[in-house]
Amino acid sequence: MSDSTRASVRAVEVSEVSKRFRLELNRPTSVKEAVLSFGRRDVRHLWALRDVSLTIDKGSFFGLVGHNGSGKSTLLRLMAGIHRPTEGRITARGRVSALLELGSGFHPELTGRENVFLNGAMLGLGRRQMAAAMDGIIEFSGVGDQIDAPVKIYSSGMYMRLGFSVAVNVEPEILLVDEVIAVGDEEFQQRCLQHMERLRSGGTTIVLVSHDTGLVRELCDRVGWLDGGHLRSVGDPDEVVDAYLLHATEPPEGR
Amino acid sequence: MAVNHTGPSARLLRLSPAARTGARLVRSFAERETKALYKRNVLGWLWSLLKPLTTVAVYSLVFGVIYRATAPSTANGQAEVFALYLFSGLVVWNVFYTIVNGSMRWMDGVSELRKKIYFPTETALIGGAAATLLQSSLEALVLVVIMAVLTNVSWTLMFLPVAMLLAALFALGLGFAAAIVNARYRDIQHLTTIVLSVGFFMVPIVYTPDIVPDRAYGLPVARLVELNPLNSVIAVARDAVYFLETPDIADLATAAAWAIGTFALGLAFFRRRSMAISEEP
Repeated sequence: MSDSTRASVRAVEVSEVSKRFRLELNRPTSVKEAVLSFGRRDVRHLWALRDVSLTIDKGSFFGLVGHNGSGKSTLLRLMAGIHRPTEGRITARGRVSALLELGSGFHPELTGRENVFLNGAMLGLGRRQMAAAMDGIIEFSGVGDQIDAPVKIYSSGMYMRLGFSVAVNVEPEILLVDEVIAVGDEEFQQRCLQHMERLRSGGTTIVLVSHDTGLVRELCDRVGWLDGGHLRSVGDPDEVVDAYLLHATEPPEGR
Repeated sequence: MAVNHTGPSARLLRLSPAARTGARLVRSFAERETKALYKRNVLGWLWSLLKPLTTVAVYSLVFGVIYRATAPSTANGQAEVFALYLFSGLVVWNVFYTIVNGSMRWMDGVSELRKKIYFPTETALIGGAAATLLQSSLEALVLVVIMAVLTNVSWTLMFLPVAMLLAALFALGLGFAAAIVNARYRDIQHLTTIVLSVGFFMVPIVYTPDIVPDRAYGLPVARLVELNPLNSVIAVARDAVYFLETPDIADLATAAAWAIGTFALGLAFFRRRSMAISEEP
């Protein structure tokens, strides 16, 4: 690549990405049903993203805004590698740590501690590295002795706190956060924000999806606005958020 | 990431980062499966032997005692114990059966997780298979100890783990396919159980190959039993631990070809399809 010096500062590159989901109403769930419903299946396709291109610089704080169903979460999942784009290419350079929803990435039958190791393995970190980070993770999450209980008995708050604690304590190079911090109490939210700031100053690239436009204005260097799967605009947080809010108040969208 | 050139992880350094991640995940899933089975105590391990030993006892009673089936002599000609002939085939069958059946369960166990975080899903199945091999090696150990008491041991024993490994690869290949199809059509697991219970009697485990008639009801029965892919891997295991002969090269080659071919095809199919499954609502 002749462009390597320039490309190296880009943490995430999204080029002409489209994502189509296959939706099937009354999908047969057994061979018997499949045989019986042969020839009259109702398959639909939904384009969650259409021709989205953007780049996120290393060490920057990027925000994504848009209505529910606009494709924000799909884009984050593509960045995390959970889904593959139908068209286009997406590149994330560096270790991606994602916190996409409540308890993301936990196996309910395993204890908190085992899940921390499992998550670490998924992120490419070894046992010793995770063991070294363990005390910090437990302390930040505040789950205490419950770390050795199966996570299925955790409260939703504990689930989220441990999930966030793992995601931020593994020294991610790219951190993807989808709305989750809204679940915690005031004090935990504050700690999360402080921690994200610290990560960013350490060079971590952060992508945040949020409906809290105030938070987005405050934290983000750049913001993208998704609308119906299309990227309407991307750029300066105040400009993009203002445009989004103006648009949001125009049509009676029921919010 | 800092690279550490000393310590126990040094041998892992030759692997690519993706392979290292895969190996760690396999280990995590294998530990989880083993722990679920035995809760980390000795009694649990003994408990796990109860089922295979009961199977040996019941089939020996029915076929060895009631039907008076006779087993060929072991290498030293001492024992004509039908139970041991049966056990030497059953050890391999159990590896096969547990992995094919377990694959669908291991897949279900991580499918919700996979919707929230990316990891190579096949590691969950490979981990389950590794745990199965661990548990089966305990069964094999019991078999070998009994054979040792009867002074029926030789260097050919080293082919028993080979047979078990080949059975595991063959089973994983089928298990990969079954897990994908079962993720969509939930009755596949019931169909698999039926097919496996028929399959058990299609391999010479509770009978010897030589008593199978050439033809019955117009079907070339002996040929069908012979062509069964598991036949050769069980023959290898029996040569290794019962007859104490060097396994037939043809048997070994057939078993290895089936095992590696099925594993490769199954894994390729799994990798192609598992992404789509994680996208389902």
